[in-house]
Amino acid sequence: MLQNEQEYIRILRSRLEGTLPREELDDIISDYTEHFTVGKVNGRTDDDLWKSLGSPEDVAREIRVMHLVKKAEDVRSCKNIFHAVIATLGLGLFNLVFVLAPFILLLVMLLVIFIIGVLFTILGPVAFVYSVLQLMELPAFAIWVSPLAGIFISIGMTSLGLLIIIGEYYLARFFYHVAIQYLKWNISVITGTECTA
Amino acid sequence: MNIQFKKGVLEICVLSVLAHKDCYGYELVSEISKRIDISEGTIYPLLHRLKDDGYVTTYLQESAGGPPRKYYQLTENGRKEEHEQRDEWMRFAASVNALLEGKNDAAE
Repeated sequence: MLQNEQEYIRILRSRLEGTLPREELDDIISDYTEHFTVGKVNGRTDDDLWKSLGSPEDVAREIRVMHLVKKAEDVRSCKNIFHAVIATLGLGLFNLVFVLAPFILLLVMLLVIFIIGVLFTILGPVAFVYSVLQLMELPAFAIWVSPLAGIFISIGMTSLGLLIIIGEYYLARFFYHVAIQYLKWNISVITGTECTA
Repeated sequence: MNIQFKKGVLEICVLSVLAHKDCYGYELVSEISKRIDISEGTIYPLLHRLKDDGYVTTYLQESAGGPPRKYYQLTENGRKEEHEQRDEWMRFAASVNALLEGKNDAAE
């Protein structure tokens, strides 16, 4: 394969198209075009410039990750954070341990808390109906010490369940923020680009 | 030197070079790669991030015999950031040096 400017720019563009908005893509491409132009004015060859820049695939990967993390920071959504996390995995296998594992752990934890919240919320009304039935002396056996206490406990359960769900919302927001900061730190330290020398 | 380590200090290097003078991309890249062995292609994404963060702005300027070049310039915020990061780095480097020298003393 010929390692010249046209090929470098072509690969870079094709890897970034669809991820970056038009304007940003053109801006980035213009930087690399200028780099080749000035380099050649200074007497360097295409091949030499290619080698010291690092492969266009690696450079494109890095730009993609930065863009996706920035996007996830600007617009909070599950989709955006998933895209950012997946792109970060491309930077190196160790990110399976340092990014994917904590991310999955976090998701499982949030899911468990959510299920607990929903269970409490649902169990409340069930216990409430049961207590009322008991007050009317309908069921044959009693679970509560007193049906009246059962009514208060059932209200308490639903309130607790709702509180857990509301708390979870803030917890998720907090973790989203932490995750973004962590990803930014991760990409500023970890490089997806092999050093040529 | 460990390449991971180098990438971590790339930001302060870029800010520091720009604190001395405005640079076009190739100039900045050569200035840094002259001293630090790193894939030059990673400096441009970093410049874009610094621009997004508001530390750097760009302007076009005519060049002698060629198309206009894009110059990178530190903003007021960028200067503040450069100061902070430089102080931080100096303290860190001094501590590491002191530790390393202390270790050498002990070995002698």
